Amino acid sequence: MDYIITTEQLTKKYKNFTAVNRVSLHIRKGSIYGFLGPNGAGKSTTMKMLLGLTVPTQGSFTVDGKQFPKDRIAILKEIGSFIEAPSFYANLTGRENLDIIRRILDLEKDDVEDALELVGLTEFGDRLAKKYSLGMKQRLGLAGALLGRPPILILDEPTNGLDPAGIHEIRNLVKSLPELYDCTVLISSHMLSEIELIADDVGILNHGRLLFEGSLDDLRQYALRSGFAADHLEDVFLSMVEKDNSERKQRAKL
Amino acid sequence: MKTLAIELRKEKRTGIVAVLPIVGVAGAAYAFANFMVRIDSLLSLPMAPMDVLLTQLYGVIMMLNLFGILVAACMMYHMEFSGTAIKKMYLLPVSIPKMYLCKFLILTVTLLTAVVLQNLALVKIGMTDLPRGTFSMSSLVAFAGYSFVTSMPVLSFMLLVSSRFDSMWIPLGVGVAGFLTGMALGTSGIALFLADPFVILLMPAVSMSARPDAVIVLIAVLETLLFLGVGMRMSQKVRDE
Repeated sequence: MDYIITTEQLTKKYKNFTAVNRVSLHIRKGSIYGFLGPNGAGKSTTMKMLLGLTVPTQGSFTVDGKQFPKDRIAILKEIGSFIEAPSFYANLTGRENLDIIRRILDLEKDDVEDALELVGLTEFGDRLAKKYSLGMKQRLGLAGALLGRPPILILDEPTNGLDPAGIHEIRNLVKSLPELYDCTVLISSHMLSEIELIADDVGILNHGRLLFEGSLDDLRQYALRSGFAADHLEDVFLSMVEKDNSERKQRAKL
Repeated sequence: MKTLAIELRKEKRTGIVAVLPIVGVAGAAYAFANFMVRIDSLLSLPMAPMDVLLTQLYGVIMMLNLFGILVAACMMYHMEFSGTAIKKMYLLPVSIPKMYLCKFLILTVTLLTAVVLQNLALVKIGMTDLPRGTFSMSSLVAFAGYSFVTSMPVLSFMLLVSSRFDSMWIPLGVGVAGFLTGMALGTSGIALFLADPFVILLMPAVSMSARPDAVIVLIAVLETLLFLGVGMRMSQKVRDE
């Protein structure tokens, strides 16, 4: 199998708290990988490690065969990312913000317009970013990730703050990306219902541990084996998390 | 060069580049106004006319420069923190220490502009208002260089402090507190206090002579490089950790 991102026993500890616990991910090239888990499961921390924002306590990972910190610049050139909340220069317009990123990435001027168009911000491009609504800021963050159409996209809950129409639009956009320009997408969410509409593969995380990794079909099979209705994957996900939580409580009692 | 150009673009609409040149103009205006109003009393002081020109105006000019540096340094990183833009920078293939160095260079050039503007005013005053034959261009250039070099540790220190705090009010508070320590310790004559960059800044102001002190220059250069090095080093470490 041709994996573009792999992690090996990736672990992140903060003093006594283990945010990510021996997670081994396998993300296929050209796929959309849905990274699922409740709030605080360790999704963002894992993504931050992949982007070099935080150093793993244990384990390793490769991104397109490259490793941090040795290949930091080469890795970041290949990844478009959107982590947690949108980041932007409040004193600049949306277009100027993207132009800063474009210059750093040595891209063509047209790439800014392309990114604005992809997220539907073209007509608001000359408005100051600080005057954007939450949804528009979210789109600007996405445009920053999509700029130059990078081969890998890491998107951390990109639909947060968007209205239902915006969620639908961004979901369709993310779904179309691998076909549009042959990229790999790692997208996190705490809603399986959202992820199952776009992802090829999923990884389910709870309290830093990877509970499941595989395709959506594998998840359906797992659901059937476990006695869940396979057409309600959200229930499977919630039950999986609940089961893990009760097991944790049991272990804690012992 | 690319990083410097990007830094300058980021500063659009912030006024950062304009702060210190405006301070320079204000300092020059103060020098003209002061000499116009107090020319007789200033020239009757028991000092050489050139020393009067350089040292008696420097106190206020230095304060203006100090507050210009504080404001510009605080704005420099406020711009990065206000929309959490700095987080995006860590996710891009750009050298963060290089970015820090460019911010330092921009502040240095704008401070130099301020110092040049202020000293151009002193040149004009010296050539027209000082007694004939007492104006010395070389003394003025040496003092201008001295005041610039002694201002640099504060600039370097304030950039370091402002890069470490999300809230602009903390570095601003540190700057004001630093100014007070400089005022309190500047005249003590205790060598240890020269470690305080604000004391170094005050050195030309508390001296009765306009002659640069080589030891102070050396300490100023070392402190500037030290704070710059620490700032670049610390900027490498992601603040998310």
